[in-house]
Amino acid sequence: MLTQQEGDVGQQLNKTDQLYDYEVIKKFSVAAVIYAIVGFLVGVILALQLTFPDLNGNIPYLTFGRLRPLHTSAVIFAFGGSVLFATSYYVVQRTCQVRLFSNFLSSFTFWGWNLVVLLVVITYPLGLTQGKEYAEPIWPIDILITLVWVAYLINFLGTLARRKVRHIYVANWFYLAFIIAVAMLHIVNNLAIPVNLTDSYPVFAGVQDAMIQWWYGHNAVGFFLTAAFLGLMYYFVPKQAERPVYSYRLSVVHFWSLSFMYIWAGPHHLHYTALPDWASTLGATFSIMLLLPSWGGMINGIMTLSGAWHKLRTDPILRFFIVSLSFYGMSTFEGPMMSIKSVNALSHYTDWTIGHVHSGTLGWVSMVSFAALYHMVPRLWGVTIHSVPLINLHFWLSTIGVVIYIVAMWISGIMQGLMWRAYDSFGNLSYSFAETVAAMHPYYLIRAIGGIVFLVGALVMAYNLAMTVQKGATLTRPTAA
Amino acid sequence: MKHETIETSIPLLTILVLVAISIGGLVEIVPLFFIKSTIERVSGMRPYTPLELIGRDIYIREGCYNCHSQMIRPMRDEAERYGHYSLAAESMYDHPFQWGSKRTGPDLARVGGKYSNQWHQAHMRHPQSVVPESVMPGYPWLQKNALKYDDVEKRMQVLSKVGVPYTAEQIANAKQDVLAQASASGDASGLAKRYGNKVPKDDFDGQPDQVTELDAMLAYLQMLGTLVDFSSYQAQSR
Amino acid sequence: MSDTHDVETTGHQWDDDEGYPLREFNNPLPKWWLYSFYGTILWAVVYWILYPAWPLADGFTKGVLGWSMRQEFLGEMEASQAQKKVFNDRLEKLALQEIAKDNQLLQYAMSGGKALFGDYCAACHGSGGVGVKSGGFPTLADDDWLYGGDLDTIYATISNGRSGQMPAHLQSAGGGFSESQVNDLTEFVLSLSKRSKDPAASERGGVLFRGDAGCNACHGDNGNGSLKGTVSGTAAPPVGAPDLTDAIWLHGGDPATIRESIAKGRNGQMPAWSADAKDVGRKLQPLQIKQLTLYVHGLGGGK
Repeated sequence: MLTQQEGDVGQQLNKTDQLYDYEVIKKFSVAAVIYAIVGFLVGVILALQLTFPDLNGNIPYLTFGRLRPLHTSAVIFAFGGSVLFATSYYVVQRTCQVRLFSNFLSSFTFWGWNLVVLLVVITYPLGLTQGKEYAEPIWPIDILITLVWVAYLINFLGTLARRKVRHIYVANWFYLAFIIAVAMLHIVNNLAIPVNLTDSYPVFAGVQDAMIQWWYGHNAVGFFLTAAFLGLMYYFVPKQAERPVYSYRLSVVHFWSLSFMYIWAGPHHLHYTALPDWASTLGATFSIMLLLPSWGGMINGIMTLSGAWHKLRTDPILRFFIVSLSFYGMSTFEGPMMSIKSVNALSHYTDWTIGHVHSGTLGWVSMVSFAALYHMVPRLWGVTIHSVPLINLHFWLSTIGVVIYIVAMWISGIMQGLMWRAYDSFGNLSYSFAETVAAMHPYYLIRAIGGIVFLVGALVMAYNLAMTVQKGATLTRPTAA
Repeated sequence: MKHETIETSIPLLTILVLVAISIGGLVEIVPLFFIKSTIERVSGMRPYTPLELIGRDIYIREGCYNCHSQMIRPMRDEAERYGHYSLAAESMYDHPFQWGSKRTGPDLARVGGKYSNQWHQAHMRHPQSVVPESVMPGYPWLQKNALKYDDVEKRMQVLSKVGVPYTAEQIANAKQDVLAQASASGDASGLAKRYGNKVPKDDFDGQPDQVTELDAMLAYLQMLGTLVDFSSYQAQSR
Repeated sequence: MSDTHDVETTGHQWDDDEGYPLREFNNPLPKWWLYSFYGTILWAVVYWILYPAWPLADGFTKGVLGWSMRQEFLGEMEASQAQKKVFNDRLEKLALQEIAKDNQLLQYAMSGGKALFGDYCAACHGSGGVGVKSGGFPTLADDDWLYGGDLDTIYATISNGRSGQMPAHLQSAGGGFSESQVNDLTEFVLSLSKRSKDPAASERGGVLFRGDAGCNACHGDNGNGSLKGTVSGTAAPPVGAPDLTDAIWLHGGDPATIRESIAKGRNGQMPAWSADAKDVGRKLQPLQIKQLTLYVHGLGGGK
């Protein structure tokens, strides 16, 4: 529980205030919560549009095709990105015992990243897009992202360079790999020649563009949503559980094997397409080989609790961690399974892919982020959390919401895949495409409900954290003991 | 080298990470530009006409690829439902590619010529009016928005910089070709000379006195998957 | 809550100035994890040996099985053709009328027709052929036909397509008649189904119908349409002009829509589906068109 640190927190605040830059972290934390709500809300709107198409409203700015990228960018980059900025800045400072390298760069990354988000929110509904998944921002925004990212890399490396602790803690290896990988992926996949201020054509085309896009797209998942959040996990789980990390050896082996293997997995998005057979093979085999390195993170996270399971009875933040790691393990098992060509022949293009994505993003990424925010925010503001029971409520709403969502998508996805390839006794197709669309309807509704439950949980969190911050704002500073 | 050496040295950590993450991309991406069998040798492929190009850009603008794929897989049920599996050659001029990753709606790789323009007009306006089960949004503004094509030459020039073989003649005649293709009447010889004889030419949007975004969109949709001459195509191992 | 496990941890710790210091045990790699990892690597290596895997200078390792995705597909298609060969051979040889008499073969054809209909025809003609008013796509499930509902005619319609051209009559739409003349024609057409409310206008319209407007040339002297109508005693030409005397309307039978049809004309396009037709795009083989013909004919209104 939090009680141990409660008394110390106020005193520590004085010291940490002077030493660490908490201002930028506070700002990113607030941004993260706001973007979570926005991103989840757009997701719910999309889910409802698929259930009730009239909700597209004949309004160009609100059609599914223009809003979907807004949802993916908001949840991955705005919400996920803000969580990563906040936590990486928190973790690198605390594990290096030194303040962030540059106040200017910290500020630049905060305002720059939020400007990116603002520009994205404006441009996508207007139909200004590059048309590549998770890389939709138009070229001027891409340049801004690059500048922010370079600033981030310098700030992070600079902080590491100044560290007072000789060994770089494992969480920072993962954060560093994430920052470097995203830089490489972003630059290569967005190479384009502008036509005007808002439009450009990518340098690559057809099959080569497809390969580069999914080299990028899969590793946006692999490094942005996996490696980086494993870095987060490596700090916050042992801290919250008050237990040592289970195995240093395992962290070394799985860090390098994961970093190496993940990059190759891209072609599993392109099985049975016009991508050559050999590339498909590499994607499938490396995705399978990636399974155990991924699980290294799950094992290290869950086994860190060994000796402290009893804390799950009273600490809902630990519940978030455990369940998020379980979803992580499940998703990183499901992913390699779906990368096997024969499984993919069924799953590709179906809702099963969507179910898989959301078990990873809701079950793992979001829930581990919530846990980190619950740990970090009280400490940033030098107070205790406003309400522990509300954390618990959020936990149950999240878990239930995710389960409803993914079960609905498993059913609709597998059903869809099977219907498309169903034959009657004469060997003719049993269903027209339109019939399969009609069959999806009840599951689209159930999925929307799952998403709404998850969103309500996030609103509970926003309330709880807002009340907590408010406490911090009105608290008189305790003097050092 | 002990791992301790790496985790106490930023340069080493950084460089080794960079090496680890670079290899996969290099091995999977670079050969696609050099292995000749990657793009099949076929006859019939041509770059998009100016009208089709703008239509394609509108397709991207509206995010159609979020629900529609353009990639028929070599599987029996797909062959029966959609036609011949898609070749890499068929998307070689697509900047960016439009293979898609989801079929909320049907695959469109060979939708060219499958439905009449009239059907498309009704469907774009209000999909449920012709397909009651559809979850697609309506796009009624396409037939109201006048087509903007002032910069079509610039677009073709940029595309030729990234490898699309537009000729000077094609670029010079771009604006006339837009008007010629979006009309049911008039001289088709210029279009045929510059782009061959598989160029759908019609008053696509049913409004003969206007050239609208719907004309462009339908010109694009109505040629999808129609170019390659499959009678002369032999499947090769690739 | 500090523990006394320091002797088992790596000895390093971080972030010890607040709460619990970060430390790491150095537990060995779990055996099941390590062996599973090796297992997946072994699986991958075997896979690379068997299947196409590694790019080379201008090619790639083909794998000892000599497998390729597209060859596998060809095999799948051959197998499915072989499975259907007996039925397909007979379908190809027999005329439509003979197939219709062979119950089992007919069932096979209907199953194939239904599958094809769902993805090629239903978009316009609706599931089960109910038709779609808003686009002017005829219903195929009744016995009212524009070009003919017998098997051979349905086959021809699907193969070659149809182009139902009704010219515009209003001057502002490119025709040769005034607003009041178009009104008169509308009244006359309404009178054919006994719905006219203006006998004088209807009479003027009738004069135009059989005179300057020349509607009777397609619709027949009495508006009975291409299939049933006559023009000065001879059969009306087979141009798909609808029967204007019945209650079935392709575009809408209310006065406003009839007026619009007359004023602006209509242009109904049915694509040609046959493989050697001029239409580019999706094409159907004769075998498939035969199955579709039998299916459509069997929707309830075949003649």
